[in-house]
Amino acid sequence: MIEEPYRWLEAVANRREYIQDQLSGATPVFAVSRPEGVFLLGAGPGRSKVFEIYNRHGMAALGNPVDIEKLRQAVIETAHLEGFNRSADDVTLRRLVGFSISNSLKSAFEQIVAAPLIVEALFAECGATREEDLLVRVRFDGRPEYATDGVCLAFPDRDRERAAGEWLRGRLSDSDGLGRVRGLCLTAWSALVDGKEDFEALKVQEPLPSSLAKHGLESALIDRASPGPAQYRSLAEGEFQ
Amino acid sequence: MNGDFLSLLSSNPFSGLTVGENCPQLLEATTVFAFHFSEGVVMAGDHRATAGNVVFSDRTEKIIELDNQSLIAIAGSPAVAFEMARTLQTTFEFYRRSQLQVLSLPAKVRALSRLLRDNLPGTLQGVGAVAPLFAGREPDGDSPPGIYYYDPLGAQFEAAGYAASGSGSGSIRSVLHYLTQWGNPRPEKRDRGEAINLANRLLLTAAQFDTATGGVDPSRQVFATIRLLTADGIHTVTEKEQAAAWKKGGAND
Repeated sequence: MIEEPYRWLEAVANRREYIQDQLSGATPVFAVSRPEGVFLLGAGPGRSKVFEIYNRHGMAALGNPVDIEKLRQAVIETAHLEGFNRSADDVTLRRLVGFSISNSLKSAFEQIVAAPLIVEALFAECGATREEDLLVRVRFDGRPEYATDGVCLAFPDRDRERAAGEWLRGRLSDSDGLGRVRGLCLTAWSALVDGKEDFEALKVQEPLPSSLAKHGLESALIDRASPGPAQYRSLAEGEFQ
Repeated sequence: MNGDFLSLLSSNPFSGLTVGENCPQLLEATTVFAFHFSEGVVMAGDHRATAGNVVFSDRTEKIIELDNQSLIAIAGSPAVAFEMARTLQTTFEFYRRSQLQVLSLPAKVRALSRLLRDNLPGTLQGVGAVAPLFAGREPDGDSPPGIYYYDPLGAQFEAAGYAASGSGSGSIRSVLHYLTQWGNPRPEKRDRGEAINLANRLLLTAAQFDTATGGVDPSRQVFATIRLLTADGIHTVTEKEQAAAWKKGGAND
């Protein structure tokens, strides 16, 4: 099949279509750069979508849970080997994405005789200052898209993902507490999941509607002010008050 | 995929310690100890590293935080011991992040034992022996912390009340044995300030009889490295805190 370019292109196109179809029911994940650190949010009933990777790195992913886990394990292994063989400061998101994550996903996508990875992910690196934060969305084919404005989300429908991102950016301000940030993300989350098109008409959901609890909300902060090397921590409900 | 960083490391080798024929005088880190006090465990050490009769450094930090529930005190070859500490730090964090749970205390104790056993060639050649102490507590925080000591081949022992290692450990074990049997208060009954002062006094006593123990001189505001493992986690006792405790009662009573 590889010797026949047309068949290879067709196989890749079929594969892309298949992965997009498999991802279509996934719920969105968010990463937002804040003065206190990087806020991550996801919701997945009965399974995790938001994870710690390394001292100042986290990820949120959507897709097949087994493939999310494969990607998570691979990134954690790469980060820890790099941190051990060099130093924790040498573990940077640009290098992880450039030399490990994107390459692995692209290879998996183009290996048309093997099962594809059904996964898309956000990765976040918390810097010493907010300006040094780095957020990147990595697509299933390995393509990285770096966020330049402190807001990054992943959803299978690209147009609606873009609209939700714009709505979110327009409403976030530096003075917002984490409760307000979570409320804005969850409003966008609900709109995306419910198929709403008119984001301008959305009302921010504060306090949190009880109907959202069934989705197993998960949120974490890569805390810039953390005293120890490990800055990632899951957020408890009390921290949003 | 099993959260075992050592297995991962063996398939991605990092250059280890090798010893040539014309090996220079080897460094040794000396005198560390740990004992129970009223809030948990005190782990302390002097600052001296020696090469034969040469004081190589009086600023060595021998008490190392592995994670927020465990400490290691190193005695022996610093090159190997620091590498062991770094390996354990990564091993514990790697397990916690990859398996989404904290490694149990028995597994941590055995992880150090395994590193010591893997260092057997260096130990047998007499160039890389390490005799560390380990203090840790279970992640649930309900059970009291434990103190463990090892022989250079990796055998592990849990200490009832105290443990010491390194060239000055003989004096310290003697004093701690006496205090455990007949002290008033006994070490495990002492409060934080008393425990800090006892740690500094023990190192001054060891330094009196062992030239390889040093770098502690309260009269010049130079104190030991002291870390506390309590129900709240690990606390590093600053020189300022040690000076305050020493002023309050360490020098005299």
